[in-house]
Amino acid sequence: MKVDRRSFLGLGLGAAAGIAVSPVGMKLTDDSSIWTQNWPWTPVPVDGEVTYDNSVCSLCPGSCGISVRKIDNRPVKIEGREGYPVNDGGACLHGIAGLQYLYDPSRVKTPLKKNGDKFEEISWDDAIAIVADKLAEIRKSGVPEKLACIADKEQGSVSGLLQRLLKTFGSPNFYTMPSLESYLELTAATLHGEGKTISFDIENASFILSFGAGIIEGWGSPVNCFKANASRKERHAKLYQIEPRLSNTAANADKWIPVKPGTEGDLALGICAVILKKNLFNSTATANFKGGLNKFGALLQKDYEPLKTAEITGVKASDIEKIAIMFAKSKMPVAIFGKGRGDGAQSLKELVAVHTLNCLVGNINKKGGAFVQPKPEYLKFPNESMDNIAKKGFATTKLGPYMNQLVNKVNASSQPVIEALFVHNANPCYSLHDSKSVKQAIGRIPFVVSFSSFLDETAKEADIILPSHTFIERLEDVPSCAGIARTVVGLTKPLVEPVFDTKNPGDSILLIAKALEGSVAQNFEWETYEECLESVVPDIWDSLSEEGFAVISEGLPSGSPGVNVSFLAKNPSTIQAQGDFDLTLIPIDNMRLINAGVPASPFAIKTVSDKVLKGLDSIVEINPLTAKGFKDGGYAMLTTPKGSVKVRVSINEGIMPGVIGMVEGLGHTFDNKYVSNKGINVNELIGPIIESGSGLDAAFGIKAKIAKA
Amino acid sequence: MKQENNKAYKFGMVIDLDKCTGCGSCMVSCMSENNVPFKEDESNKKDSITWMRVYKLTNDKSFPDTQVAYMPRPCQHCSGKGGHGHSPCVSVCPATATDYGYDTGIVSQIYTRCFGCRYCMGACPYHARYFNWWDPKWPEGMENYLSPNVSPRMRGVVEKCSFCYHRFQAARDQAYAEGNKDEIAEENYQTACTTACPAGAIVFGDLNNPEHMVHKIVKPDPHPDPRNKHVIGKSRNPKVFRLLERLGTNTKVYYLSEREWVRKSGDNYLDGEWDKIKNHHGASVSHD
Amino acid sequence: MDSALIPEGAKRCAFPKFAIGIAVVGAVLLWGVFAMFLCWFKGLNQTNMNDYYGFALWIWADLAVIAVGGGAFFTGLLRYIFKIDELKNIINFAVIIGFICYSSALLILAIDIGQPLRGWFIFWHANVHSMLTEVAFCLSAYFAVLTIEFIPNILENRQANKVPFFHHLAHNMHGVMAVFAATGAFLSFFHQGSLGGVAGVMFGRPFAVREGLLIWPWTFFLFTWSAAAFGPCFTLLVTRITEAITGKKLVKDNVVHLLAKISGWMIITYIIAKIIDTIYWAIVTAPSLGFTLSHFYTNNSFYGYWILIVEIIVCGVLPGALLIMKSTRENSNLRLIAIILGVIGVCLNRWVMVLQIMAVPVMSFDTWALYIPSWQEIATSILPVAYGIILISIAYRYLPVFPQEKELNSVEPVTEAE
Ligand SMILES: Nc1nc2c(c(=O)[nH]1)N[C@H]1C(S)=C(S)[C@@H](COP(=O)(O)OP(=O)(O)OC[C@H]3O[C@@H](n4cnc5c(=O)[nH]c(N)nc54)[C@H](O)[C@@H]3O)O[C@H]1N2
Ligand SMILES: Nc1nc2c(c(=O)[nH]1)N[C@H]1C(S)=C(S)[C@@H](COP(=O)(O)OP(=O)(O)OC[C@H]3O[C@@H](n4cnc5c(=O)[nH]c(N)nc54)[C@H](O)[C@@H]3O)O[C@H]1N2
Ligand code: SF4
Ligand code: SF4
Ligand code: SF4
Ligand code: SF4
Ligand code: SF4
Ligand SMILES: [Mo]
Repeated sequence: MKVDRRSFLGLGLGAAAGIAVSPVGMKLTDDSSIWTQNWPWTPVPVDGEVTYDNSVCSLCPGSCGISVRKIDNRPVKIEGREGYPVNDGGACLHGIAGLQYLYDPSRVKTPLKKNGDKFEEISWDDAIAIVADKLAEIRKSGVPEKLACIADKEQGSVSGLLQRLLKTFGSPNFYTMPSLESYLELTAATLHGEGKTISFDIENASFILSFGAGIIEGWGSPVNCFKANASRKERHAKLYQIEPRLSNTAANADKWIPVKPGTEGDLALGICAVILKKNLFNSTATANFKGGLNKFGALLQKDYEPLKTAEITGVKASDIEKIAIMFAKSKMPVAIFGKGRGDGAQSLKELVAVHTLNCLVGNINKKGGAFVQPKPEYLKFPNESMDNIAKKGFATTKLGPYMNQLVNKVNASSQPVIEALFVHNANPCYSLHDSKSVKQAIGRIPFVVSFSSFLDETAKEADIILPSHTFIERLEDVPSCAGIARTVVGLTKPLVEPVFDTKNPGDSILLIAKALEGSVAQNFEWETYEECLESVVPDIWDSLSEEGFAVISEGLPSGSPGVNVSFLAKNPSTIQAQGDFDLTLIPIDNMRLINAGVPASPFAIKTVSDKVLKGLDSIVEINPLTAKGFKDGGYAMLTTPKGSVKVRVSINEGIMPGVIGMVEGLGHTFDNKYVSNKGINVNELIGPIIESGSGLDAAFGIKAKIAKA
Repeated sequence: MKQENNKAYKFGMVIDLDKCTGCGSCMVSCMSENNVPFKEDESNKKDSITWMRVYKLTNDKSFPDTQVAYMPRPCQHCSGKGGHGHSPCVSVCPATATDYGYDTGIVSQIYTRCFGCRYCMGACPYHARYFNWWDPKWPEGMENYLSPNVSPRMRGVVEKCSFCYHRFQAARDQAYAEGNKDEIAEENYQTACTTACPAGAIVFGDLNNPEHMVHKIVKPDPHPDPRNKHVIGKSRNPKVFRLLERLGTNTKVYYLSEREWVRKSGDNYLDGEWDKIKNHHGASVSHD
Repeated sequence: MDSALIPEGAKRCAFPKFAIGIAVVGAVLLWGVFAMFLCWFKGLNQTNMNDYYGFALWIWADLAVIAVGGGAFFTGLLRYIFKIDELKNIINFAVIIGFICYSSALLILAIDIGQPLRGWFIFWHANVHSMLTEVAFCLSAYFAVLTIEFIPNILENRQANKVPFFHHLAHNMHGVMAVFAATGAFLSFFHQGSLGGVAGVMFGRPFAVREGLLIWPWTFFLFTWSAAAFGPCFTLLVTRITEAITGKKLVKDNVVHLLAKISGWMIITYIIAKIIDTIYWAIVTAPSLGFTLSHFYTNNSFYGYWILIVEIIVCGVLPGALLIMKSTRENSNLRLIAIILGVIGVCLNRWVMVLQIMAVPVMSFDTWALYIPSWQEIATSILPVAYGIILISIAYRYLPVFPQEKELNSVEPVTEAE
């Protein structure tokens, strides 16, 4: 026993000592640490040859030039393209995060067909055949006008192809989502006549009077606006920002002028009144006014004299006078509009009132002012040939000028008003007001075809999805619109082989048209979209393909267009928010989120403040005077006539008492855990209000109340 | 003791807070350039890895006098008391996993050496250091965009802004290849946040080089601040300040603002102190 | 059934009772071990630490056990170097407590680091400027010393002592123990100090930073001093608890009074230094960096001036005073209150120097960071306590820890020493 223990102990000690002095322990220790440095579950990016490629970002109307760094042809980084006439180097966070869209595993990877509640994968051939059969059937029954299309915009060749398809098919029902560009055109049409558009020379203006336009929150062409804004510092140019909330633009401005939501148009008219009364207008310019300048002037002096305007808008009368004097006496003043969403909900009264300021001080087509010129037309499609069915159908009346009429008519009728719908690059089920009724309308359309790259809220309502390449994978002409002073057409180029079984939407449209045969097909004789694009941009193709862009207008436009004030002279009324609660809910912008277009990327969501999104909760901004009894960060029930939601409260001195601000761009409901099901889509809480005289949805917000939850 | 000599680079940054819009491009550009991971919920900002973080500052006044400014905060690349290279984090790291580059002024971070004690995080008053609490994971297919220039970090180590050191290496290689050993051209080494910024708010370059924009804006004072011998390189531009300059961290990220309240929020002051201190800019000013 | 192992002449409870007790505490231990493995395999996301709170509950536990473990080095110093002979009656226990504290501290460190398999880089790639490097070296070396100090006591186990080699080894080790005690005291001086230095050198953290002597901030000396002052309180407290549980008197009152008296004077001198340090910091150091004292103690829901008062007055001045005054010191209830307050005081000091530092905002626009530990942190922080209880129980049962036990508990009553 004793001997055993002794030898056992000896052996044990010996072994321990042996192992301790042998290199085994050291080697194992070393190996284990080397292993931690090369954990197989931590990816090791592959190295290779570095190249750079230029393209254009089309995630928003900004259309920035981008430069993409690649490793052995694998894109790894997107940056702004230096020397590009829109953005010259910088890029916004969404464009920079572009590769997260490209490789997003929740993309639509192949054509899909709705079967009950589920989508099933089908081949491109089958998908095109199903679409063509359905369309042929509609045509055969003699109601081609029952095909409708919703696209993001009117500009560009893909939209051009869709419009051509509808026309030769026989339908006038082509709709676009509201866009800043469409409002610029509408404002120009109302004041200066059809066929024109407006842009603002912000980068040269010496005094910018902005009626809520978030020039550093993504208004217009975002990067271009950022640069113009930043250059104010060296140029000593002033910015006055009029809006109910201390947005980043307001914070960055020389002065923030809080205004009661929805009364910006009245404020603009009040300023007009002071300018007229004090004879501060430019008499050469007003010589061009028609449609009743005297009547307009009298109206202003009666209804918009400073004290009255002050009462309506909440801006002090003395401030109104000061602003008017500053604006009129400034060397290069410009008044810009873009309240609310800039275009999502907009009252024509306000757009026109603001632009009238430009007209009064005579800064139209002057350096640093507002440019009024014909819409840029660079696409040269061959003339369409239409058969009788097409002619008859195309001649029927469009269901209404805007999306909201389309939605109302579809929802109001017991019969299908629309038999088939194309949706391209648009997500109306998310981004239109009262998105639930939009969704209902889309759901009532028997056959919906989506070209979306993602299974977004609208694509989920589709019967067939013909998935498109993302902007990294596709060829497309992208005109810069969005109110920048220079018109540039950029070329988005495929930078990488398509990651999934998707197509350029241009090619998808060509395939559908060809499958329709007959007179429709005759209008689409290009083999590929690439061939089509080259042939419809004959004047600028060389520049597009060599430089990656073409500048189609630059510098001061000539001439001074007439100004017709008859719309305002009729004294249109100001839009009131729907409902009779005490508070007003307004949507707020946030550069780090996307409210139109693809949802923000995981990177962009990551940058969103915890005062905007906390966990899965949306946070609303309330002034401490309004939020009496609420705890910062605490829960609350927010109710509008459209519904109630649970939110959290952020007590914020930067918002007017009585106003609640809620960010746009959250509350997506599709399957992507990094970006979806976070927060609430504010569009569900706001209902459209149609402005009489324009037909526009002009709801700048909605009445609301808030209670403890 | 090693000293920064005049021939060495001393990379630094100036951020114009009047131009910064808080847009977040710099943050995303940094994440994308440096393979920073993301996770499902990033709304807890205390465990969200953002080498570049944009803070929101307010003047604490009530409506309608409230003002807001944004303060982008990369690693400040502190050179420590007296500028001797003992940054708060470097001097505490037991394993030399973070180090001060006397030739560049850049504070490095060696992920494979860091063993995750997080002492450096405690020492850094700027919260510029981030710990990998989780294994980094990319959704399937997204590893495709990872850049080989920056290695993804494993769980359990600290990471932070490197002033895009790989871009310095590339620029240095290029300079060598062009036979220009001692001089990296200003435009050849620019960080990813600088080039991304749509407002042009960030300027980056060599603080030692009078030709570089950063030097021209900052006009760093080579003498120690007579009020605080630990502080060196104070700006002689009255509109320029550094974050927590009084601590003697000697950061190389400078901030620029016309707004007094913004400049004041860069540091802590006792009551009434700011009014005495605010007009003091650099030793040489008081020397002459 | 284990009577062969129990020290001769000592009375111990029945084995089943002992086993049940161990099992109960063992369950808690296993809970901690489970949490520990979660941290190792899943990573530190198991804790509620974050980038603001890089040090958390268990690092406080780590510093606290090291502080209270200071009783070992200090008693060793007094016993072997200053030749205060009475202390031989408590030195074994002090060493065991120290061993438990230091092994726990090392274990916590192994859980705390993000890359445990690379922990040795601290030695391999050592940065001589880092206080933590100094801590790591001294802590490891001192743990080795404690092990050496503990070994003779283990070898005195009835069965082990029968092996002549072990018997002689133990005897000879006792003979040279002064050398180890001296080494231990030296090492302790440095690592206790370096732990204080960890905070004091953080010149980016005005709440922590202190001026000092050469490379050592004042916190360096204060930590060493406080460990020496309060460590004996902990030794006395654990002794008292052991006596209560075993229902036996284990150490004679004169020994206890002596240690309590020394501790009291150490506390008083320490607390004077600490008060001077606090005042200097509050009116010179912090204001020179732009901070008023109120910045550190207001505008948050937890850290108020109370913590300063409790640490310094209630758990510093008060126990010190109670222990230096003969009447209160020799009143067993008041003495107990004093040593409990002392232990709380030093733990609170370590809390403040680890956690409050992290919570205080430094940038003018930053906010207080408050922190609630996760259950995994709590479990791993309790783990050392369970481990300590088990080790003490086993040691007490099988080793002749208390030389006076037999005398104090012999069947025939012996005359009290006093
Ligand atoms: N990050 C990002 N950038 C984008 C987009 C995006 O989705 N995300 N989309 C692009 C597109 S398509 C467009 S059209 C533009 C739109 O860009 P903007 O026209 O700038 O639209 P918003 O940013 O939504 O709103 C501008 C401001 O209006 C304020 N506001 C809300 N209600 C009222 C009100 O009643 N009165 C006044 N005066 N102000 C009010 C909001 O608080 C906000 O500050 O942005 C483009 N850029
Ligand atoms: N209440 C309210 N309503 C609004 C607005 C608002 O602010 N408030 N904003 C208005 C404004 S400014 C606009 S511009 C409109 C925008 O409204 P929409 O254009 O309807 O909204 P988006 O979400 O931009 O829809 C674009 C769709 O294109 C898809 N997509 C993205 N990239 C690609 C691609 O590469 N290929 C294809 N095929 N699809 C792609 C996306 O998945 C997305 O579903 O909404 C308007 N409506
Ligand atoms: S501003 Fe618009 S176009 Fe420019 S990078 Fe951002 S998303 Fe792309
Ligand atoms: S990118 Fe520029 S403007 Fe945007 S937050 Fe960063 S520094 Fe500010
Ligand atoms: S900012 Fe922080 S991490 Fe960067 S060098 Fe300074 S102390 Fe280190
Ligand atoms: S966490 Fe890493 S870098 Fe930081 S101190 Fe510890 S070992 Fe050094
Ligand atoms: S310098 Fe580079 S690493 Fe640092 S914040 Fe900017 S982009 Fe990120
Ligand atoms: Mo838009």
